[in-house]
Amino acid sequence: MWVAALLLVTLLGTGVVFLSPDKYAGKLAAAISVIPALGSLYMYWVYLTQYGGTGNALLSPADIAFSQQIPWLTLGELEVSYFVGLDGISMPLLALTTVLTTLAIVSAWTPIDERQSQFYGLMLFMEVSLIGVFSALDFFLWFVFWEGVLIPMYLLIGVWGGPRRKYAAIKFFVYTNVASLVMFAGLFALVFSTDLTSLSLPAMAEAFRTASGLPTIAGVNLMTISFILMFFGFAVKVPVFPLHTWLPDAHVEAPTPVSVMLAGVLLKMGTYALLRFNFTMLADTARQLAVPLAIIGVVSVIYGAMLALAQRDLKRIVAYSSISSMGYVILGLVAFTPYGMGGATFQMIAHGLISGLMFMCVGVIYNTTHTRMVGDMSGLADRMPWTVGIFVAAAFGYMGLPLMAGFAGEYFIFQGSFDAPTLGGAAPVLTSLAMFGIVIVAGYLLWAMQRTLFGAFSLETDYEVGPAALHDVAPLAVLLLLVIALGVAPDISFGMITDSISPVLELGGGA
Amino acid sequence: MAAFTYAPAIVLLPFVSFLVALFAGDRMPKGGALAGITATGGSLLLSIWVALTVAGGSVHNEILYQWTTSVESLQLNFGLLLDPLSALMLLIVCLISFLVHIFSLGYMNDEGETGLPRYYAGLGLFTASMLGFVVANNLLMAFMFFELVGLCSYLLIGFWFREDGPPSAAKKAFLVTRFGDYFFLIGVVGIFATFGTGLFAPITEGGEVVAESFPMLAEHAIVDGEVEGIAMLETVGMGPQAWFTVLGLLVLGGVIGKSAQFPLHTWLPDAMEGPTPVSALIHAATMVAAGVYLVARMYGFYAISPTALAVIALVGGFTALFAATMGLVKQEIKQVLAYSTISQYGYMMLALGSGGYIAAVFHLTTHAVFKALLFLGAGSVIIAMHHNENMWDMGGLKDRMPVTYWTFLAGSLALAGIVPFAGFWSKDEVLYEALIHGFGTEGGLGTAYLAAYAMGLLAVFFTGFYTFRMVYLTFHGDARSDTARDPEPVHWNVKGPLTVLGILATTIGFINMAPVAKLTGAHIDFLHKWLTGPEEGGWPALLSTDLHHYEELLHEVPHVDPAYPLGGEIGTLLASAAVSLGLALAGVLVARSLYGGADPVEHTDKLGGLKTLLMHNYYQDEYQVWLATGVTHPLARAMDKFDQGVVDGVVNGVSSVSLFGGSRIRRIQSGVVSNYATLLTLGLVLLLAAFGIMGGWF
Repeated sequence: MWVAALLLVTLLGTGVVFLSPDKYAGKLAAAISVIPALGSLYMYWVYLTQYGGTGNALLSPADIAFSQQIPWLTLGELEVSYFVGLDGISMPLLALTTVLTTLAIVSAWTPIDERQSQFYGLMLFMEVSLIGVFSALDFFLWFVFWEGVLIPMYLLIGVWGGPRRKYAAIKFFVYTNVASLVMFAGLFALVFSTDLTSLSLPAMAEAFRTASGLPTIAGVNLMTISFILMFFGFAVKVPVFPLHTWLPDAHVEAPTPVSVMLAGVLLKMGTYALLRFNFTMLADTARQLAVPLAIIGVVSVIYGAMLALAQRDLKRIVAYSSISSMGYVILGLVAFTPYGMGGATFQMIAHGLISGLMFMCVGVIYNTTHTRMVGDMSGLADRMPWTVGIFVAAAFGYMGLPLMAGFAGEYFIFQGSFDAPTLGGAAPVLTSLAMFGIVIVAGYLLWAMQRTLFGAFSLETDYEVGPAALHDVAPLAVLLLLVIALGVAPDISFGMITDSISPVLELGGGA
Repeated sequence: MAAFTYAPAIVLLPFVSFLVALFAGDRMPKGGALAGITATGGSLLLSIWVALTVAGGSVHNEILYQWTTSVESLQLNFGLLLDPLSALMLLIVCLISFLVHIFSLGYMNDEGETGLPRYYAGLGLFTASMLGFVVANNLLMAFMFFELVGLCSYLLIGFWFREDGPPSAAKKAFLVTRFGDYFFLIGVVGIFATFGTGLFAPITEGGEVVAESFPMLAEHAIVDGEVEGIAMLETVGMGPQAWFTVLGLLVLGGVIGKSAQFPLHTWLPDAMEGPTPVSALIHAATMVAAGVYLVARMYGFYAISPTALAVIALVGGFTALFAATMGLVKQEIKQVLAYSTISQYGYMMLALGSGGYIAAVFHLTTHAVFKALLFLGAGSVIIAMHHNENMWDMGGLKDRMPVTYWTFLAGSLALAGIVPFAGFWSKDEVLYEALIHGFGTEGGLGTAYLAAYAMGLLAVFFTGFYTFRMVYLTFHGDARSDTARDPEPVHWNVKGPLTVLGILATTIGFINMAPVAKLTGAHIDFLHKWLTGPEEGGWPALLSTDLHHYEELLHEVPHVDPAYPLGGEIGTLLASAAVSLGLALAGVLVARSLYGGADPVEHTDKLGGLKTLLMHNYYQDEYQVWLATGVTHPLARAMDKFDQGVVDGVVNGVSSVSLFGGSRIRRIQSGVVSNYATLLTLGLVLLLAAFGIMGGWF
C-alpha cells in the first residue's frame, strides 16, 4: 500500500503541477514532492527499526517489506502482476530518489525561468518513474517505469537545456533506448528458454538459477550470451567505458537540477539493474566473468578520472568523475563479498548524494556567474563565502575524505575487493590500480578549486556578484549534512544493505 | 580509571571549538580565539590527567564507537589507545596547540587580519583531528584522522586565499601527501584483509586477550610460525615475511608523505605560505610528526622486517643530509626552518629504522618544542619586520627584541645540538643508536645503518651552520633596513608562549640524559623508563608496546644488536657524543666567521654551480611539476582527444548513418519539441490505464 500511495500521490501531483500557473509551479512542486520524501523517510525508519535482517527481495520473497501483489494480465503463458516491494537494497535508493527530487526542485527555482509548470511537472513525473523502478518486482511493471524515466529526461534536456540541447537529448535517448533493446533481447532469450510462468522478478531469479540444458550458440552458453547482452544494456546507463560518451554531453546541456537527478539517481538505475539482474539472477555467470568485468570497472575509474583532468568546464569535470566513481561500483559488485557488494550499493547512495551536491554547487555558481569555465572566473570565495565553503566540503567529500559518505563507500569496496575470491590473484592488483583514482580525483578537483574559487576575484560582469539566495544554499547544506551523517554512521544504510546482499553471496560459491 | 572516562573529551573539546568559531566566531570577541584557547587549555589539563594516570601504571585500550558492524567477520571501529607513547604525544600536541592559539592573538588578531573565525575554526578542527589520530587504537581510524589532518593543513595553508601563492601551496601540500596516502590506504586495506584487524595493541579483559593486534599476529607468524589466522598469503603468493614487508612499506608511503621525507618532501617548504603560527603547529611540531608517530605506534610490525627497517633508516639519513644542504643557502627565515624541519624528521626516521625507538620518540618530543619555539620566534620577527621574511633585510634585532632573541637563541642551540640544550641529548642518542646498531648488526642491514649514520653525522655540521647563519643574519650585526632599525613591538601574547617554549627547549632534554645516566649510574633516563614500563607485568604485558618487547623483536628477527667499537660502551658513548658535538660546534663557528660580522655579505656565490643546484632544491620541484603538467596533463588531453574523436566518433558515425533516413521523416513533425511534453506523458498514462483495464485491475 505504501508504495502505491507514493506512486499515486506523486502522479497526482504531476497532474496538479502541469495545470498550475507557471508563477507558483516551483513552490507547489516542492511542497508536493515533500510528501513522497517524508513518506519514504518514514518507510525507511520503519524498515530500519522493524525489518531487521530482512532478506533479498528476489531471493527470499516471503519477507519483502511493503510488498503488494495484484494480478494484472497474462501475456501468452506469462503472468504479469502489479508487484512492488522493498528490501535493504532498494529502500535506500528509494529514499535517495525522493529526497534528491525535492532538493533538485528547490534548486531549480532560480535557474528555470520559462515553462515552469511543465518543467516541474516533468520532474515529478520522473520521480514517479524512479520510485517505480526501485520498487517494482515484476519485470513488465519495472520495464514500464524504466522506459518511463527516459521521456521526462529527454524533454527536460531537450527543452530547458543549453545551446546543443537537441543533440544531447537525442543522443541520450537513442543511446539508452538501444541499450534497453539489447538488454530486452538478452533477457527474453532466457525467459523463452526456461519454463517461466510469471514475469515476477523472484520467479525469474528462481528460474534462471535452476535453468539447465540451455542451448549454446557458437559454443557459448546462452546464459553467458544473455549476461553479456544485459550487461551491455545496463552498462550504458551506468555508464562504463566505452559506452559513456552520452553522459558528458547530457550533463553539459542539461539544466543543473536535471544534472542533479541524472548523476544522483539515473546512473544508479544502471548499477541497481546490474545488481538485480546480472549479479543476482545470473550470479554464477557473473562469478565466472568476474575478472574481465573488474577490468572494465578499473578502466572506467582511471579513464574517467583522466578525462576529468583534461576538462575546463566544471560540469564536465563532475560528469567525467561520475564515470570514475561508478567504476568503483562495478569493481565492488564483481567481488561477491559483503564489503564489496554492500560497499558498491552503499557507494550508489553516497555518490548519489555527493554528485548531486557537486552539481548543485556548480549550478549555484553558474546562476551567479553565467559561466562554468575554469579560467573565466577566479576568487569566488571572496564574494560567495558560504557557497564556496560548501563547495570545498563537497569536493573533499568527492575526493573520499574520511567521515564523509564517499570514503565509506570507497573504503568498503576496496576492502571487499582486495581479497575477493572471484578475482583470485588479480584481486589486490586490480584493487590497487582502482585506488589510484583517489589521487587523480584530488588532482582535478583541487586544480579546479584553486583556479575558480581562490586568488583575486575576477569575473567580467555588468552586475555585482554577491552571495547566493538562501533557497539556493539550503539544499546544499541539507545534502552536505546527509553526506556527513552517512560518513560518520554508515550503518544507517550499510546494515540493511548487507542484510539484503548476503542471500546473493550465498548463491553458488558463497561468500 | 576516571581519567580515561573523560579522555574522549580531549578530542571533542577542540572539535566543539571548531563549530563555535565557525558559526559564532564573528559574533565573539577575538574572532573565536577564546573558544580555541579554552578548548585546548581544557584538553591540555585532561592530557596531564591522563599522563599522570598512565604514570600510575594504568593503560587503556577500548573500542569507543562502532563505525560499522554490518559485516560480522570484519567490524570497523573507533577506539582509544592510551599508553605512555600516546599520552606523551597528547601532551605535546595539546601544549603546542594551546601556545599557538595564544600566539595567534598577537600574530593574527593584533595584526588586524580578517577571516579570523575561519582561522580559529581551522586550528580547532586541526587540533581535534590530530588528537584523534594520536589516540587511535587501530590503523583505519588512524588513517581517517590522518586524512582529516591533511584537510586542515590544506585549509590553513590556503588561509590567505585571495593571494595566488597560498592556494597553490595548499593544493600541492594536499596532493603530494595524498600521493603518499594512496600507498598508505592500500596498506590499511591489505593489513585488514590479511590479519582481520587493524588494532595496534591487543584488547584485554581480565588479563585475557579478547582481540589480538596485527603487530602481534605478524610476530606470531614470523617468530612462532603460526600462519593459520593469516589470510592473503596464498592470493599474493608470498611468504609472511615478504608480504608483511610489502604491507609495511605501503604504510610507509603515507609516513613519507606526511613527515615530508624524500622524495615527497617538496610540499613542506611551500606550506610556509600559511600563517606562521600554523607553520609552528602543523608543519613543524605536530602534523609532520604524525608520520613518525605512526611508525612508532606500530613499531612491532616494522621491527620484524629488516628490509623495511633498512628503508626507513636510509630514507631518514638521506633526508636529514639532503634537506640540511638545501637549508644552507635560503634567504627567508621560514624557508631555513622548513628545510631544517624536513632534516630533523629525517633524524627521527633514522632512529626508528636503526632500532632507536626511544631516541626517535625523544627527538620527536624535543623537536616539537624547539621547532615550535623557532617558528614562533620567526613569527615574532616577522611581526616586527612588517611581514618581510628576508633575512638580508634584518640584522641587529638582538637589542631591539631581547625576549625573542634569547628564546630564539635557546631554540637554535637546541636545533644545532649544543650541550646542554634539548636537541643535543636527543640527536646524540639518535646517532649513537645508529652507530652501535650499525656495528652490531650483520650483513646489509648493518651496512645500511652505517651509511645512514654517516649521512646523519654529516648533516650535524650543516645543521649547526645554517642555524647560526640564520641567527647571525637575523639578530646580529647592523640593521640592514629601516624596519629592522625600528621594528614593531610585540606584546605579551607573543612573548608569553616564547618564554614557556624557551624554558622547555633549554630543559626538556633532561628527561632523558642517557649518557649521564650511563656514566654516573643515576637513574635519570626518565623517558626510557616511561616507555619501558615495569620489569614484570604491568602495561607491557597487556599491550606489548614497550621497549623491551621491541628490543627482543629487533634482536630475534632482523638481528639488530648493539656493538661498541670504541673502547666499550662508555667509550663509544663519549666518542659519539664528542664527534657530533664537535661537528655541530664547527658548523656554528664557520657560520660565525662568515656571517658574524657587523656587516655580513653573502658567501653562497663561492659555491659556484652548487649554489644554483641548492637554490633550486636539486630540481625536485621542477621534476614533480613536470610530472604533473608535462606528463599527466598532456596525457589526459590526449585521452580526451581520443575519447572525443575515436570513442564518440564511432557512436556519431553510426548515428549519422541511421539518422540519415530519419531526417527525412522528421520533417513531418512541427518542430517545437516542448509542446509534446504533455502529449507524451498523457500517452503513457493512457497506455498504463489501458493495460490496467485489460488486466481487470480497477
